[in-house]
Amino acid sequence: MKKITAGTFLLLASSSAFAVAPGGGGCGWGNALFEGQSGPAPHILAVTTNGTSGNNTFGMTSGTNGCSVSGKIGYSGQSMLASVMDEFSEDAAKGEGEALTAVSVAMGVQPEDRAKFAQLTHDNFNTLFPNQDVTAEQVYNSLQQVMKADAQLSKYAI
Amino acid sequence: MNNSTLTWLNIATFLLSFIFVSFTSNAAEHTASTTMPKKLLINATKIELWKDKEWLNLLHYKGDGNSYLSQVDDPRFFNAPDGKSSPQNELIASLTSFYNTDLSEPDNHTQCRFIARLHWLQKQLPDSLTQLPTVNCPQYNDWRKLVPGHKASLIFPAYHLNSPSSMFGHTLLRIDPADDTSNSSWLSMAVNFGANIQASDNSIAFAIKGLAGGYSGTFIVTPYFKKIKEYNREENRDIWEYPLNLTPQETERMVLHLWELKDINFDYYFFDENCSYRLLELLEVARPSLTLTQQFGLTAIPIDTVRSIDQAGLITGTLYRPSQATNINHLLEQLTNSQKSLVLQIARDADTINTDTFKHIDPAKQSIMLDAAYRYLRFQQNDEGRTESNAKNSFALLQAINKVPDFKSPEASYSAHQKPEKGHLSKRLDIIAGNNRVKNKASNEETNREYAQLQFRMSFHSLDDNIDGFLEGAQINIGSISARAYKDEVQLQQLDFIDIFSLSPRNAFFQPLSWRVYTGLEQQFINGREHLTGHVTAGAGVAYTPWSRGYFYALATTRFESNSQFSRALEPALGYSTGLLQHFSFGTTQFEFSGEAFLNNEIRQRLKLIHNVPLGRNHSLQFHLNFQRQRNSQSPSQSHFETSDAQLSYRYFYH
Repeated sequence: MKKITAGTFLLLASSSAFAVAPGGGGCGWGNALFEGQSGPAPHILAVTTNGTSGNNTFGMTSGTNGCSVSGKIGYSGQSMLASVMDEFSEDAAKGEGEALTAVSVAMGVQPEDRAKFAQLTHDNFNTLFPNQDVTAEQVYNSLQQVMKADAQLSKYAI
Repeated sequence: MNNSTLTWLNIATFLLSFIFVSFTSNAAEHTASTTMPKKLLINATKIELWKDKEWLNLLHYKGDGNSYLSQVDDPRFFNAPDGKSSPQNELIASLTSFYNTDLSEPDNHTQCRFIARLHWLQKQLPDSLTQLPTVNCPQYNDWRKLVPGHKASLIFPAYHLNSPSSMFGHTLLRIDPADDTSNSSWLSMAVNFGANIQASDNSIAFAIKGLAGGYSGTFIVTPYFKKIKEYNREENRDIWEYPLNLTPQETERMVLHLWELKDINFDYYFFDENCSYRLLELLEVARPSLTLTQQFGLTAIPIDTVRSIDQAGLITGTLYRPSQATNINHLLEQLTNSQKSLVLQIARDADTINTDTFKHIDPAKQSIMLDAAYRYLRFQQNDEGRTESNAKNSFALLQAINKVPDFKSPEASYSAHQKPEKGHLSKRLDIIAGNNRVKNKASNEETNREYAQLQFRMSFHSLDDNIDGFLEGAQINIGSISARAYKDEVQLQQLDFIDIFSLSPRNAFFQPLSWRVYTGLEQQFINGREHLTGHVTAGAGVAYTPWSRGYFYALATTRFESNSQFSRALEPALGYSTGLLQHFSFGTTQFEFSGEAFLNNEIRQRLKLIHNVPLGRNHSLQFHLNFQRQRNSQSPSQSHFETSDAQLSYRYFYH
């Protein structure tokens, strides 16, 4: 039974490209404002059961669901951004919030530089999010460019 | 289970343990010649280590001191063939297989699989559990990078109206790293015990299987931000976080044990061996001096377990993460009616923010309106999925928000009386004194009887119960039984299996349905006396809050009744139910008209008045007045009765 569920999600996750990973079980995002998701997130299982669904049942992330294990938290900056794209865009517009912090931690930004990171994403909102159809990958690439151009944060850019 | 099967089981267990003991002693001799110290088993046996509470906790044994059974329903969790029922054989088998010299699959070696057992046994047998083969555990080591484990919080996603399975709430644990500099728990790990549900199961199958242990449950560990998204955004449930005072050592013990439970199946029982119960077990592993699980026999209602954890002195504070809907309501409360209408217009067409009407509003209010409109769009998209117009409007609003200097988005906070752990306990006992009057309208005869009544409710909350700590408008009662004693007879008055009433107020922003379903046995007055009848009653309709803490509702209902006085086995009826529920600082009043007309022309009309006066958290006095008129429209002269019931009850809540 569980295998079927997990299998379904694996299928869902692996058949989706990185930017269109489904919400709920996988590592992508569900009801994102931005392009790249289709319909309500497949979270129906979890909704009714307090329950369990998905393929990374023990926090063990792997390539199959769009997340990669890197660094101490198991999320790369890019996969983290994709996972919380909706929240990230809102926080970037507002200039503060936990999604900004989470992405900055995943990108290895040290505590003393995180306020600057929040400021940078806020100031460059229009560059990072040129339209409502932008993908997480595009946002991530723009973020890298913006960080490279910043004296304080360029050391974190890849 | 009858006696003969019991005996057979005993014999089988005996034979199995006999075979196993011979096997393990052979194995022990074999490995002892290489690495296992001879005195290890002797030392463990001498002090009867398997009777230690920590060992029993680690293996999830429940028992009376003589016989034990583990609640883990998965052979992979045991090293001994009879490990599920024998703490002793399991301990010996575990010790033995720690010395297994086959290191070809290190991740499957007992040292890696059962790392909490190893740590504990090493502490108990420091002199004899030595010379272990060195095993590296790559999977475990990778996992520990994700779950550093330094401190922990108990997480309580609160009730969700209109979703019965979440009406009891839920609990999970969050494990935080030592490094607190991230200032965010988004990347902490959430530990969740849940049932593995089949996507095809509908809610009835869910309920039946859930009650009967038809699902298996496993622990899941996921980043906490996923849980925030799931509860706060997708399900619109407020999240309460309770930091615990577990020491780093205690947290570490729990995380080690959690690894042992990876992919391990338990039978999942909705009421007792559920998400919350399993967390109590984890906490007992973390701090062995705790006795939490034994407080929960019949039910482990999530919030009751939070209270027990609180009483055990583990909780050090309260943090609140309001849901998206709560935040929207919080923002709307700060606006006038015309500003609220404008928010709706903005959500429909973001260009509205360029009109003079909007531009002339005070900038602070403008910010609130932008925030409310944006959040409302996200709320809608959560329901309906992404649409082009929603995405376009959302994006335009984010751009507008981005242009506001120093944009502040204060979230909803809570007041002390909302804290769910401070609400009444889940079981309830009522002592009732009442008077029942029956008037036969045909003959004008009148009888008057006094009675005493005792009522027990297994769980959880009624609309008229003490409201502090509960979601307004959400009633869920499971397992309610009452017996009534007149001077000359005692009768079963009522047996409710389930009684859910979800009052979800509608307004310009939210248009939920209100609904009710209840089923059970109850006494109905018909043909001159009361008869026990079975029924299923359900209804749907609307609710509004015309003023603060007041709920006006109107529902269309349908009822199927099995009544010995009716000719059909199951008599259908259509009806209505409308009323007003009002919470005051000093109590709750409910006023309700309801009625139904059966296919056989039997007609009932009811008027109900309830007033509840809380006497502290777990006590209340309640006054009930019921008036019922019934007649048969075919033969009005023969069967036309008016009954009235006046009751005074004392209610006591406990768990």
